[in-house]
Amino acid sequence: MDADFRRSDVLIIGGGIVGCATAYRLGKRGVKALVIEKSEIGAGGSCRNAGGVRQSARDVRELPLAMHAVSDIWPTLGEELEIDVEYRQRGNLRLGKTEAHIKALTALVAKSVSAGLDVRMITGDEARAICPHMSDEVAGASWCPTDGHANPLHTTFGFYKKALEYGAAFVTGVTVHGLKKIRGRTRQALTDDGVYEADRVLLCAGYESRAIANTVGVDIPVEREVSEVFVTEQRPPMFDVMLGTSDADFYGHQSKHGSFVLGGMGGMEKYTSNDASVATHGITAPRLSRGVIKYFPTLRDIKVLRTWAGHYDVCIDGVPVVDNVGEAPGLTLAFGFCGHGFGISPAVSLALSELIIDGESKSIDVSALGYDRFRAKS
Amino acid sequence: MLRYEMIVIGAGPAGLSAATEAARSGMQVVVFDENARPGGQLFKQIHKFFGSREHQARTRGFRIGENLLKEAEEAGVKVVLNAAALGIYKNKEIAVSFGGATRGYRADCIVIATGASENMMSFKGWTLPGVMGAGAAQTLMNIQGVRPGGRILMVGSGNVGLVVSFQLLQAGCQVEAIVDAAPRVGGYGVHASKLSRTGVPFYMSHTVVEAKGSDRVESAVIAAVDERFRPVAGTEREIGADTVCIAVGLSPMGQLADNAGCEMSYLPAKGGYVPTVSEFGETSIPGIYCAGDAAGIEEASSAMIQGKICAAAACNSFGYINDEEFRERAEAYGLSLSKLRAGMFAPQNKGRTDISHTAEGYPLSGSLLQRGYISQDEIEAFPAARPGSGKGLRPVIECTQNIPCDPCQDACAQGCISVGGDITGLPTVDGDRKCTGCCMCVAACSGQAIFLVDEDCGNGSGLIGLPYEFLPLPEPGALGLALDRSGNALCGAEVVEVRKSAAMDRTAVLMMKVPAGMACAARFFRPADGRQACRGR
Amino acid sequence: MQRTIRTRPTLPFSPEGDDGLIVCRCEEITKGEIRRAVYDGMRSMNEVKRYLRAGMGLCQGQTCQRLVQGILSRELGLPLGETGRIRGRVPARPVILEDFGMSDGDSEGV
Repeated sequence: MDADFRRSDVLIIGGGIVGCATAYRLGKRGVKALVIEKSEIGAGGSCRNAGGVRQSARDVRELPLAMHAVSDIWPTLGEELEIDVEYRQRGNLRLGKTEAHIKALTALVAKSVSAGLDVRMITGDEARAICPHMSDEVAGASWCPTDGHANPLHTTFGFYKKALEYGAAFVTGVTVHGLKKIRGRTRQALTDDGVYEADRVLLCAGYESRAIANTVGVDIPVEREVSEVFVTEQRPPMFDVMLGTSDADFYGHQSKHGSFVLGGMGGMEKYTSNDASVATHGITAPRLSRGVIKYFPTLRDIKVLRTWAGHYDVCIDGVPVVDNVGEAPGLTLAFGFCGHGFGISPAVSLALSELIIDGESKSIDVSALGYDRFRAKS
Repeated sequence: MLRYEMIVIGAGPAGLSAATEAARSGMQVVVFDENARPGGQLFKQIHKFFGSREHQARTRGFRIGENLLKEAEEAGVKVVLNAAALGIYKNKEIAVSFGGATRGYRADCIVIATGASENMMSFKGWTLPGVMGAGAAQTLMNIQGVRPGGRILMVGSGNVGLVVSFQLLQAGCQVEAIVDAAPRVGGYGVHASKLSRTGVPFYMSHTVVEAKGSDRVESAVIAAVDERFRPVAGTEREIGADTVCIAVGLSPMGQLADNAGCEMSYLPAKGGYVPTVSEFGETSIPGIYCAGDAAGIEEASSAMIQGKICAAAACNSFGYINDEEFRERAEAYGLSLSKLRAGMFAPQNKGRTDISHTAEGYPLSGSLLQRGYISQDEIEAFPAARPGSGKGLRPVIECTQNIPCDPCQDACAQGCISVGGDITGLPTVDGDRKCTGCCMCVAACSGQAIFLVDEDCGNGSGLIGLPYEFLPLPEPGALGLALDRSGNALCGAEVVEVRKSAAMDRTAVLMMKVPAGMACAARFFRPADGRQACRGR
Repeated sequence: MQRTIRTRPTLPFSPEGDDGLIVCRCEEITKGEIRRAVYDGMRSMNEVKRYLRAGMGLCQGQTCQRLVQGILSRELGLPLGETGRIRGRVPARPVILEDFGMSDGDSEGV
């Protein structure tokens, strides 16, 4: 029984949203996945983000994933998963207060437009018409009307629940230490609970993937970076857009529940990201609070209920690896999402299921996200 | 960033004791407390505490709080109120919110003394106004001066449920019943007895299954439970009540320790998740200590000692006291703590139901455990509860469980009463010595379990001196009924004298005359005019 | 952390008479919803919290945590101590955004 349980068609290392969603898509196509998670389902970045479903301000290399997710998956994902993923497609405003902000936003917009995205610069007054309650200090914004936000917790657990329904199995509380090639193919995961084995292995364990990939001689330049989110008490609906700022003071949205979910950084992350445990830092949430008040003075008396910290898996060139590892056949990688993985994860999982089953991603072009794209500076 | 050598979070018994101990030894200490007044739960405690003289036994809790505050002030401790600690970050940085701002402080060491929160239970209607924690009811009446309701159903027979029930009676409420899913009364038998004798019924192996009412509690339904604590259909009984008080235990509030990154463990005997601590209360993070209920549910007396132990360890660690001094203090405090942690109610015996005899070998009263009062035949097994054969008043001590308490032996100037070195021992009465009828033992007994009895004081009458803490006090000459231990009316009675003095600290002693032969059973007085703050049945 | 194997449930969800009972008062989560969450695959306090919001309200689980743990313990046949706990997080008490924003290592005055 136990030996049986340790074998599967596909081993997925990492029970976050990418692992859960891919297990579901594989199951739908009749391929059985076993997901190994060292902690709990969604315990990493999947349940620690602010729910952005955004195409604007993305690197053009991952834009196909974002645009596919928004046009083909998100609008019906709730029905598909039979859970309210709270997807709201009411646009994304990236706010600027100074001339420098506007300049930076304008450059970002130009890049996205060239890649075929409907995004444009608007004035402060136009931004205030879209999102009232905003301070007069907002001088302009980039506006992408097809962006939005969703509930990352419901989405992650929705995929998890559906994966179970389609026959995937999960084992939590088991830590993978390394991979092993057998007769030329990556087949085994070596864990603190013995050996697990499958025909294919998907590694999607966030920043911790790097050390695991190292055990079969693959190194992806990914490092963790700490970031924080806070959540407030409920308020009647005030606005529906996803928000960010050019200055990265904060980003986030008001959830369907009525609470505001707002994230950002304190500025010391370069020197705090490798602390022994993931913990909030004394300066971060206060900085976010000040940032929010500058843009939304009416929120000054809202109560903050909770803060938390999580790790981005930051890849050296700002986009993830989503690829089959040709030199270690059987191994597929999906990590390095740099803190903007949630919104594209429904599309990433589709690409992954195709990479795993068909050998290539037919529905979405992920060719720019190859595992061996990293080169020395020329 | 402003730094203190020691930051104490929580100005309750553990926190204030730690702060005072550290400040006296020279540390610079600040205490933050989220409440408007310090003292934690102490200022709600209007009853006399147990323990020994060194634990301030027979002193009322709020007085202990006043003493603690005074000591802290004299020691130079700064206490900041309305100041909520929001979190403990790396490097012992603490965010504290008060006065419209959040401020960061750093500390060389931190004592987390944040206390406990009340456990709730969910049943149909539990969210109706009128369902509240017993501690909340206590805050309402003893701090805010508001009676929580008129007719109370108390759920839980632990010491909190019993003590608060008695205080509700004192506040003029009727306690309709005490229910507990456990088969045995959880708190001290003496606390149960003082409720039973006023007529409060106990329903053991029962639970509340519903609070009824349209927009607030109008009645409550209780039912018997089976051995797996599931309600048994058909045993429901509706009790008229406007308030349901929940006293089903406390949970340590260790969130700040958890947030700081201290290792936490789930320990049922300590009431839930608590930081793992050393024998001196130090958590897994050096320099962060945890004391009092936050480290494991006990009571205020042991919390105070734990606070001192933490502080002594911190003082030693930062060079304010040397190793020898620390060893001496730790030993003394450890000894004092071990006295409180002894006996059948010791923390390590929590949840045990197999204790059948006292340490002296007397069988425990089954009636006391199942109904809240000792039956006449059971009480006779205890020598100190027999009035003896001589003439005149004699102390009768109805103390039948090994609880950590010995003020009675100090109270008797004649040396009639002794408990011995082990304060959980049952008191014994030396029949050869002369009781002067001074009543000091009656007033000193925190459990109100001592009576003076003269079975035949002449003219066919017996005389009982009984502890009485209800207002208004009856006048001498007042007529009424004598109630037995279960609260049943026994016979007519007359109050012939009301003894009160400063030394008795508001425990009056009613000298009650009853027909001869009734003195061994009569244990409470109900005035005929009914002007008394306790339940009639 | 204990190894936990999770697979599709084999039996249908069985409702109970008191499923309508509110357990988390802040977020109005019922016993039935928590039991259903366990049926859907949630295996710990944190997963139930993230799935349902139980313990995410103003009291941050101070009132309901034990109750939810009790339901999990019964549904999963686990000892109470193995159902997990809500991590203590900043702020330990709700704090107004403006007050929170004042914190910048500034502790003058006291």
